[in-house]
Amino acid sequence: MDFAAASQWINGFLSSVGAAVFVPIIMIIMGLIVRMKPKDAISAGILLGVAFTGMSMLISYMGNIIQPVGEAMLKNLGIDLPILDGGWTTMAAIAWSWPYAILMFPLMIIVNIIMLVGNKTDTFNADLWNVWGKIFTAVGVVGLTGNVLLAFVIAAIQIVFELKTADLFKDEIYELTGIPGVTCTHKMVFLSAIYYPIDKLLRKIPALNHKADAEALHDKIGIFAENHVLGFILGCLFGLLGGYDPGALLTLGIQCAMCLTLFPVISKYFMEALSPISEAVSDYMHGKFEGRTLVVGLDWPFLGGSNEIWITIILSIPLTVLYAFILPDNKILPFAGIVNIALVVPAYLVTKGNLPRMIILSVIGIPIFLLVGTAFAPFVSQLALSTGAVAKDALGASGLISNSSIDGPWFTYAFSQFLDCMNGNFIPLGMLIVWLAGYFYMYRDMKKVAAKKAESEATEPAAE
Amino acid sequence: MPVKVIVACGSGVATSQTVASKVNRMLDKDKIDAHVEAVDLKSVDRYLKDAAAYITIVRDKKEYDLPVIDGIAFLTGVGQKQQYEKLLKAIKEYKG
Repeated sequence: MDFAAASQWINGFLSSVGAAVFVPIIMIIMGLIVRMKPKDAISAGILLGVAFTGMSMLISYMGNIIQPVGEAMLKNLGIDLPILDGGWTTMAAIAWSWPYAILMFPLMIIVNIIMLVGNKTDTFNADLWNVWGKIFTAVGVVGLTGNVLLAFVIAAIQIVFELKTADLFKDEIYELTGIPGVTCTHKMVFLSAIYYPIDKLLRKIPALNHKADAEALHDKIGIFAENHVLGFILGCLFGLLGGYDPGALLTLGIQCAMCLTLFPVISKYFMEALSPISEAVSDYMHGKFEGRTLVVGLDWPFLGGSNEIWITIILSIPLTVLYAFILPDNKILPFAGIVNIALVVPAYLVTKGNLPRMIILSVIGIPIFLLVGTAFAPFVSQLALSTGAVAKDALGASGLISNSSIDGPWFTYAFSQFLDCMNGNFIPLGMLIVWLAGYFYMYRDMKKVAAKKAESEATEPAAE
Repeated sequence: MPVKVIVACGSGVATSQTVASKVNRMLDKDKIDAHVEAVDLKSVDRYLKDAAAYITIVRDKKEYDLPVIDGIAFLTGVGQKQQYEKLLKAIKEYKG
């Protein structure tokens, strides 16, 4: 076989298999490059294929139960929300099915090294799992422009902002958690640029500055956030609105409970398959910068000890459902993405855990998530269907899937879509300008506060 | 049956699974008959009943009846050795 015939055969083969075969093959090759043992690399690759296929099966199941109740709600009450909400686990699976996804690993590492060597950051981002957040933005850019190179350029900008934001919040995060040497590099923190100026105004209202007993409240309402309980409640609510009889309603409740319980279980296999590679990269970075004190950038969960975060998340659930029904431009039926961490964590950081202000900021934030989720549906769905990450019949007549809790929605939409101004749509460009203005305001204000604090600490001798 | 160790994070997917995979590989290498399971923080109490230790990512004020290991150490590498040794001790004591 000559070279042309061989490459033609390879192309034909790759287009005949879906992401569940294609991505594991790339993963195995990557694994061998970072010197994994062949048996470990192959095992991780197969597990990744399992994750893709399991996810696709679960999305089909979810589609087949949610689509009919969606139609029943439309018929019964005129509620027209045709976009399936797959939550972040589905978005991660779809993002990973993008053919260039794996290249985001080296991009992230290179940008981080350049920033560290140039002393532009103190953060080493060890959260290689959330490389998918950069892939997701890139998918949005490609969906609009079709330009892969541009997608990587914008992803690189996102990586820089993630590191800078992690630097900015590191002292406060230490103050809030008491855990030294870590910060949060997740792109969900980007929403703080929108929250911060609003919170500056809210801080002036004395009534909002009282301390609530968050722990007791969390103990009382915590059960509603458990995945199976939440899924059951949502399923029953949808059934009720769709005019189901009690038997069908309870059956739907259990089916929905099953979906929300299994999404994280299957998503875990992605993590398990990707972890040897991310560990290899992490070890490499630690070795490279040995002797320099770096702040380690982590995913958000180490902040999850805060009761305020969980209370606000639980309160945001019914509010999100309500918004979804009354917000005219929303087309997404909140389901798998309804536990909206990305709504609340930036509010926690901006308010330093002030519960009343966190709740107000979240009420303001929910529509952003629903509208951006609606706007992203076409790109996400197109990619999902073309790579086979989602089966076509799972999405019903609309053919649309998205997420009601896209992390950093304002940033993600603005930065991936601002070039739509060439088609006459200036909204994303306007949002980009607003975000940058909010970001730089926050940046300067936080630096000013930090400087003032350092000064007063310097003039007053320490108590000890 | 291998001894059960629990690690939890906000969704039971990403951070907890990173720690679980890493510690499982370490235990495997040292031929320790124990398995680390990643679970959802919102449901963690249910899983702790028959576990030998709890690896936590968060710092909360709650008291637990079992040894608590600092999971951040496995993410940053700082203090990882001490925490791993603490875990081995907890597993040994659990086996009796």
